[in-house]
Amino acid sequence: MRTTVSLTLILVLAALSACTRNTQPQQKQLTLAVPSGGEGEALKQAARDYEAQTNVHIDIAQLPYQNLFEKELIDLKSRTGAYDLIMLDDPWFPRFASEQLLTDLTPLLQQRGQTNPESDFVATSIALCRHPYQTGSLYAFPYVGNSQLFFYRKDLFEKHSLKAPATWDDVLAAAKTIQEKESAGVNGGQLYGYVMRAEQGNAAVADFMPIFWAFGGEMFDASGKPTVNSPEGIAALQFMIELGKYSPPGYVSFNASDVGAHLLQGTAAMSINWPVWISSFSDPAKSKVIGKIEFTTLPSGQKQGQAEIGNWLIAIPRDSRNAADAMDFLLWATTAQQMKQSAQQGNPPTRKSLFNDAELMAKNPAYPAQLRSLESSRPRPRTPYWNEIENAFGIFLSKANSGELSPADAMNQANAEIEKILQRAK
Amino acid sequence: MPKSRRFFSAQNRREWLLPALFIAPALAVLLSLSIYPLFYSITISLQQETSSGVVWTLGNFTRLFSDNFFLIAMVHTFVYAVAALSCEFLLGLGLALLLNSRMRGRGLLRASLLVPMMLPSVVVGVIWRLMLNPDFGAINGTLRQLGISTEGLTWTASPKLAMLSVIAVDVWQWTPFVFLVLLAGLQAIPEEPYEAALIDGSSRWQTFWHVTLPLLKPSILIVLLLRTMDLLRVFDQIFILTEGGPGFTTETISLYIYRTAFRFFDFGYAAAMSFVLLALTNVISVIYIKFLQAKDAI
Repeated sequence: MRTTVSLTLILVLAALSACTRNTQPQQKQLTLAVPSGGEGEALKQAARDYEAQTNVHIDIAQLPYQNLFEKELIDLKSRTGAYDLIMLDDPWFPRFASEQLLTDLTPLLQQRGQTNPESDFVATSIALCRHPYQTGSLYAFPYVGNSQLFFYRKDLFEKHSLKAPATWDDVLAAAKTIQEKESAGVNGGQLYGYVMRAEQGNAAVADFMPIFWAFGGEMFDASGKPTVNSPEGIAALQFMIELGKYSPPGYVSFNASDVGAHLLQGTAAMSINWPVWISSFSDPAKSKVIGKIEFTTLPSGQKQGQAEIGNWLIAIPRDSRNAADAMDFLLWATTAQQMKQSAQQGNPPTRKSLFNDAELMAKNPAYPAQLRSLESSRPRPRTPYWNEIENAFGIFLSKANSGELSPADAMNQANAEIEKILQRAK
Repeated sequence: MPKSRRFFSAQNRREWLLPALFIAPALAVLLSLSIYPLFYSITISLQQETSSGVVWTLGNFTRLFSDNFFLIAMVHTFVYAVAALSCEFLLGLGLALLLNSRMRGRGLLRASLLVPMMLPSVVVGVIWRLMLNPDFGAINGTLRQLGISTEGLTWTASPKLAMLSVIAVDVWQWTPFVFLVLLAGLQAIPEEPYEAALIDGSSRWQTFWHVTLPLLKPSILIVLLLRTMDLLRVFDQIFILTEGGPGFTTETISLYIYRTAFRFFDFGYAAAMSFVLLALTNVISVIYIKFLQAKDAI
């Protein structure tokens, strides 16, 4: 008897609480998916500020990089409408856009009378947000404007009267000179001329692409057939391996953090890396090379040097039930004023006006180099199968760097694998 | 209480109701978390997405035979499993025999041997990744202190040493488990067969071969079964130590399945690979059981 009474009571209470929730004044609600780390933190902070100003409640799901991709793709494909806004890394964008998982922003912009909202954005950044690339409709806004930079030790370059590295040949020559003449690094250990990362997958591909492009390599020809085993491609890989001789042993399993650590410890003189590392070089707790690192654009070969672009975008899933509210927040968060807050926390902006903002430039001496690098940067090939291609390509790059395969064999096998992936996709 | 008993006996047809009510939650959990996903993964392994929609096909299974990455990963998995299992078994058996005798301090020794097994594999992976670092890792540091040149000893970054490194880490972590089970088995063997062997004048080797090993068979079976299943599906340590690299040198089938499912989002193909792995694991287990249990079935 007593159980019956308490059960009934619980049921009644549950029903009541459900009712009261329904009768509350309608508050607008948005759900946001962001990555862990600085980029996600910035948008999270923006969301908190937005909540304080408006009648919108924002739920935030913050996930580590890899899990974010899984979670977003699974949720969007199963069309749950769980998220109203998602942050995505630009190589993911072709997959999301080609599977029609994102909201076309054009009608939403027209409703708001915004015909040309993107004029202040860096052209290469906004081009990433269109599907097809550069020409199609707008499906996202760029939020964080990363592109690769070339890092080098200007003190060592001055000491050995080397000129700033403008070409890859300069880089190789400088690596050789520095490694031969500097018998001892800052810790009394070896100082390496260069530090590369060639862990299979993303790491190897990211460090290789700028060399590949500068040597005149192209991943696909005009008809979309893979051409990584072109003479230019093989020469580029040969060069990478040559440069690897001046890189710390074990670089075949290095990732971005290993590269960053070698630069911070003063045990390597040059590298390609992402802007997120810039602030650490002036942090006395982490850096043994304060004021000694210079940042510049990627070196050239037969062709002008180009960095790989790696922007964080914000998009609205197609099945969001609050697309209009999401659009309001998206426009607000990517205004110059809001993006400046994000830039002050260390995220490179995507707006030209912010790269030229006096206050930000004073704090970020690398901004001119970053803007030049970003404006001349290239995206990774825009294909929905990029993850698979990058994985296969990275395996063979890594194999060539570890000496398991010759550069020509590695590129031929990589080409065949990439062709297989594209065949299957048809 | 008598009241409720009468309640039930009066309504025999409803006698199943209460037990069913108790079983229902467990059944629901089982159905939704095990049985439904199992059938679902069978379905998706038999489907492929094409431009004209989803079609039923054996394509995911036939693709296995032309996929170099899959075949090489399979070979790696077996090399890894056989090498690690042999080392773990021989070392574990040796240690168990050694510590089964009444030597001093064996309690402490036994306890300390178990430490690696208590650590999560991810932690083991991180510890060893640091220890094997060619520049500032403890292994190369020690070798240099001893005056041994460490040039070329890049461990997880070397195509020649990477597989050896990941196998060594597994041996380090799981030999204690083999040791523990075999030691328990040894201690369960009664004194009498040994006394009989002594009277018959058998040598130590004969005693080990004809008395200890046969009586240890049940424990050996358990150890081999559990370790084989674990080794064939190994994921975490390798993921942390090498992520399958350098190149593809240490990529095992579980890593490849993970990549296919969660990086390439090809769940159908990943499911097909999982079923092949499952089938192989089952076949091997059945062989073990036949081989080790048939003759001595009690």
